[in-house]
Amino acid sequence: MNGDKRERPAMATDEAPAPGAAGAAGRAKAPTFDTSVAHQARVYDYLLGGKDNYAADRAAVAEQLKIYPDLAFSARANRAFLGRAVRYLTAEAGMRQFLDIGTGIPTAGNTHLVAQAIAPQTRVVYVDYDPIVLAHARALLVSHEAGTTDYIDADLRDTDTILAQAAELLDFTRPVAVTLLAILHAIPDADDPYAIVAKVMDAVPSGSHLALSHIGPEFVDQETRRKLEDNISRMSQQQYTPRSREEVARFFTGMDLVAPGLVRVEEWRPDPGTGEPGKSALWCAVGRKR
Amino acid sequence: MLGSQLRRFRLAAGVTPDQAAFEIRASRSKISRLETGRVRLKGRDVADLLTLYGVTDERLRSRFAMLVRQSNAPDWWMKYSEILPEWFGTYLGLESAASTIRTFEIQFVNGLFQTEDYARAVTQLGHKTAPTHEIEHRVGLRRARQDVLTRPNPPRIWSVMDEAVLRRPVGGPAVMRAQLKHLTEVAAMPQVTLQVVPFARGGHAGASGTFTVLRFEEHDLPDVVYIEQLTGAIYLDQRSDVEHYLEVADVLSAEAMTPAATTRFIGQVARET
Repeated sequence: MNGDKRERPAMATDEAPAPGAAGAAGRAKAPTFDTSVAHQARVYDYLLGGKDNYAADRAAVAEQLKIYPDLAFSARANRAFLGRAVRYLTAEAGMRQFLDIGTGIPTAGNTHLVAQAIAPQTRVVYVDYDPIVLAHARALLVSHEAGTTDYIDADLRDTDTILAQAAELLDFTRPVAVTLLAILHAIPDADDPYAIVAKVMDAVPSGSHLALSHIGPEFVDQETRRKLEDNISRMSQQQYTPRSREEVARFFTGMDLVAPGLVRVEEWRPDPGTGEPGKSALWCAVGRKR
Repeated sequence: MLGSQLRRFRLAAGVTPDQAAFEIRASRSKISRLETGRVRLKGRDVADLLTLYGVTDERLRSRFAMLVRQSNAPDWWMKYSEILPEWFGTYLGLESAASTIRTFEIQFVNGLFQTEDYARAVTQLGHKTAPTHEIEHRVGLRRARQDVLTRPNPPRIWSVMDEAVLRRPVGGPAVMRAQLKHLTEVAAMPQVTLQVVPFARGGHAGASGTFTVLRFEEHDLPDVVYIEQLTGAIYLDQRSDVEHYLEVADVLSAEAMTPAATTRFIGQVARET
């Protein structure tokens, strides 16, 4: 069965927003489509070798690579972590439901492909706040076999919408794997990212898992950070808040970290013989809810 | 398209047209004609030029060689040569090499999704005085093109259409109802995504009219925009041009109904037709 194509009653997740609806409750932070400034999802697409990016995205990346050459490695390492984490969650932790928040532009090895290759019946719900990213997801992140793939159009900060819609698509009485990869650093402290994560994890039962990755400030020197912040404030739609190892660990309150714990993305259960040399600027961990 | 890709490789390698011409024992103007697609590419020349330009990646080289073969005759559509303008043959070569095809349609159902009766009605509109056998030949070409949908490893096709495409009863209501039913079947194919921009959305970003964006798997091959005209076609592969169309395609796909809603909507229009 095909998630987006099977018949079911019309529901909120099915309908693209009407023009002008962006200001409605819960969608207040949906980004405008502006190709003249760099966009997080398109920058990531470009760093991974995709073609869904624009001149402003590439210009920002070109400058950022001069300041911080390991940026491209960080993007690839984050993507590889996604693959290994989803594989672990499906094959070893037995997860059959995923809530993938911050889907991004589809590329190779998306969550449903990895999970459904191991357990075809796995349900994957993708969440993104960008209507164009979501249009790509609906068109390209489609299950071919027994599993299903669904989509929620919501900002991570709008946990009420995410949880209400996810509850219709997933069985919240059974464990859910929540993935928040390279997205929480786009949530400033003012929006209380800890409360957001806690609310999502409160909604899922014991035995559920959280996988996340997050930019850490420890990995670059003061001068590099200052230059990157300057670049991003001038050239990017999204702004970032790096968080330290201790700050990232706090997201896992009430959870036990799976070995090897909180490490750089390239250090989390690396596949022997496949790692490329490099140092990312991203912390990651996978935790199991008690 | 291959020509302009060769040109990009040449410029990146800092090779002059004279040096390239010397390599393949040709004139400087031959290089210019190769790069602007005015002469047919030969596999050996292309291989020599790629070597000269320092393109050593075997996957890219063999893919390039395959595209050269595909862009050269004979191909399945050669049996339609007397009705097939050269510019459309080029498109068919690119279409069959593409990994993703994105289209926007404002008037007719995309040729890849047309039923035989609908295709016949469209063809008759364009060739009012053509004899029956020629019409049938053209319809046959369109059907043959649809093999791309059922071949192994088919391309991903993401097609956005204006509601007018569904409402215009080309060939009459019965033909149109069958066409709409066929569209819902096509929409259920896993590699096909259909979206409709309903009239209720008001004006939309597709004021440019019908266009197609072809994407190839290879990282180094640029997207190609194809715009058909009455007597020819425009191919765009300069990044700045292509990005205008990608942007329109992106906005249209976000404005349009979701794929699931589109399937229901097509069913509703069929009942009203």
